[in-house]
Amino acid sequence: MNENETELKVQALVDGELTGREAEDLRARIETDDGLRELHARLIAVRGLMAGAELPRTLPESGDFHWSKIAQSIEREDREAKRLARPAPSANWLLRWVLPFAGIACLMLLLTLQQTTKLNLSISLASDHELELSIDDLDVMTFNTEDDAMSVVWLDYSIDLQQDELDLWLD
Amino acid sequence: MPEEPAYSSAKEPQLVEWAKVGDMQAFEELVSRYRDRIYVRAYSIMRNEDLAVDLSQNAWVKAWQRLEQFHGEASFPTWLSRIVTNLCLDELRRQKRARTDSIEAMEETTGPVENRMEMETVDPIEGLGREELRERIDAALAKLSDKHRTVIVLYEFEQLEYREIAVKMDTSIGTVMSRLFYARKRLAGLLKETLKRDGLIE
Repeated sequence: MNENETELKVQALVDGELTGREAEDLRARIETDDGLRELHARLIAVRGLMAGAELPRTLPESGDFHWSKIAQSIEREDREAKRLARPAPSANWLLRWVLPFAGIACLMLLLTLQQTTKLNLSISLASDHELELSIDDLDVMTFNTEDDAMSVVWLDYSIDLQQDELDLWLD
Repeated sequence: MPEEPAYSSAKEPQLVEWAKVGDMQAFEELVSRYRDRIYVRAYSIMRNEDLAVDLSQNAWVKAWQRLEQFHGEASFPTWLSRIVTNLCLDELRRQKRARTDSIEAMEETTGPVENRMEMETVDPIEGLGREELRERIDAALAKLSDKHRTVIVLYEFEQLEYREIAVKMDTSIGTVMSRLFYARKRLAGLLKETLKRDGLIE
């Protein structure tokens, strides 16, 4: 252990940071070494001087003024925290209007894409006043009137069916 | 109409509880009780009146924001003191980054030479009042570098252990021990000088 290291250990002992066997060994050395004993005594004296040596001071501004600055800072930071916590007005507008429209647009796009796929609509009338469909997702309503000799077939599907893709045989 | 709490006569834990639920008047009372103490700690580290005032103010704002985290493990002023100390250390780091630290770098390199200086004996002086001695110690502290003064303030006044100081100052325990030893030697030397000059010691 070099001299400087020993001095730091003596200081640690004075500060109560050295304990156990190491502290005991150092105490024994201090008893027999004049230099260490002197250093130990001086460090204790300096510590004694420093105890409670912090000079009391008074805030160099009035208490009311100091508090007003603190209160203003607290309010400002609270406002800022709240502002950051809630969505911006532009985000509100986005949530209220743009997103629903965007949702509808996406739905329409999806349906349009479905329409572009080749539909196999082989519709035939197996018997009078009946329609037989080869796809399941078409809702069909028929209306017949003997008096007018007319049948109306209502196809409920979200896309327009092209005439040439229908093969209808009506009475 | 409900009666307003008697803030000025309320005990500290009660004021803290009220402040925790958003009672600004209770917090104001805490500020009025401890504002000088917090300022003193900031001043001891920074040695600059304006900075110490600003940092004390920031410490109170932080304390308000973190009141929920205060569970009474230490006393309220001790907790506050830790906050202001941390703010001071941050400010010192910021200042260090902002300037070329040539003077302190020079002091660090002259450390080993200084370490060979004898530790001066400065015992409490007969006839010198405690207040007068405190003023001289304060003047001597002002002459230390930021690093050495800070380590003294954290150890002697803030009563932190070596390990805690090392964490706060972002350095090793060995460096803390070395800085503390050097700071004490320098302090003892400065005190002896001033007391001799004033004819208070031979």
